[in-house]
Amino acid sequence: MKLQKKKIESEIFTGSMADISFLLIIYFMVTSVFSATRGLDFQLPKASTSTPEIKQEDSIDVHVLQDGSLKVDGKPMPLDQILPYVADKLKQNPDKPVILRTDPEATYGDMIQVFDTLRQAPDRIGMEIKTISIPTQREIQNVWALFGVQ
Amino acid sequence: MSVLRERSRNVEASIFTASMADIVFLLIVFFVLTYNVQVDRTQVQLPKTWVRTDIPKDAAFISVSKEGVIRVSSGKEMSLPVGSDEEVLTFASNVVAETPDKAFVIKADKGTKYDHVDKVLDALKQAKARVIYLLSEQKTVEDTN
Repeated sequence: MKLQKKKIESEIFTGSMADISFLLIIYFMVTSVFSATRGLDFQLPKASTSTPEIKQEDSIDVHVLQDGSLKVDGKPMPLDQILPYVADKLKQNPDKPVILRTDPEATYGDMIQVFDTLRQAPDRIGMEIKTISIPTQREIQNVWALFGVQ
Repeated sequence: MSVLRERSRNVEASIFTASMADIVFLLIVFFVLTYNVQVDRTQVQLPKTWVRTDIPKDAAFISVSKEGVIRVSSGKEMSLPVGSDEEVLTFASNVVAETPDKAFVIKADKGTKYDHVDKVLDALKQAKARVIYLLSEQKTVEDTN
């Protein structure tokens, strides 16, 4: 007489899988960020013993004033006229750097708007501005002090 | 007539849930791949720009609110407020000493005075930071109109 073996069915309990999955989704949704992972970049010169000196007449001086208006090489200029002006200067000297100075009382948004316009040079005028320098107030004061201006 | 009534009572309503697990797992995979921890939750109105480049995932953050409150994070932990410009310099110097090529992100409100951002930039320059990103949102044609 043969004994009939009992069939034991193996199974994995998956009843709570949906709960765990939804909890994971909620966690990722709450803690993750999608926007604001891009921005305007600028490279700072590597630390070296000899700092290249840029004379004001060798560069294009863009000054953002307190009210957000602009002065380029000392002359008032609207934002949309900057790139054509820079293009003329770059035709004479493609290495000409641009110095972007901003009044401390101006807003950050005003400065970014000008910086963004200058960075669009390759697309809009077909020429790259090789150096865009953003000196800080301390650096500007140091330069003035060098020339004996208080 | 009575037969018809009897039949309509026996209709059971059910929602098909067999594909739910697949959808949920797809969503989880998507979130895992795109996961990016927010180290700074300062509410700022970012400036909008046409030119934007990708920011490295492990970049250090310095946020400047409209009122000029500065918070810093090395990119690993949540941001902490700092009291003075010297503290920003100390923070940046420590980060650069640990990782010389570390990228710094300045997340500033577009309405903040440039003076606040200038001081942060100055601290980063003094700390010999190499790459700085100015966080921005994408500018669109509607923004120019």
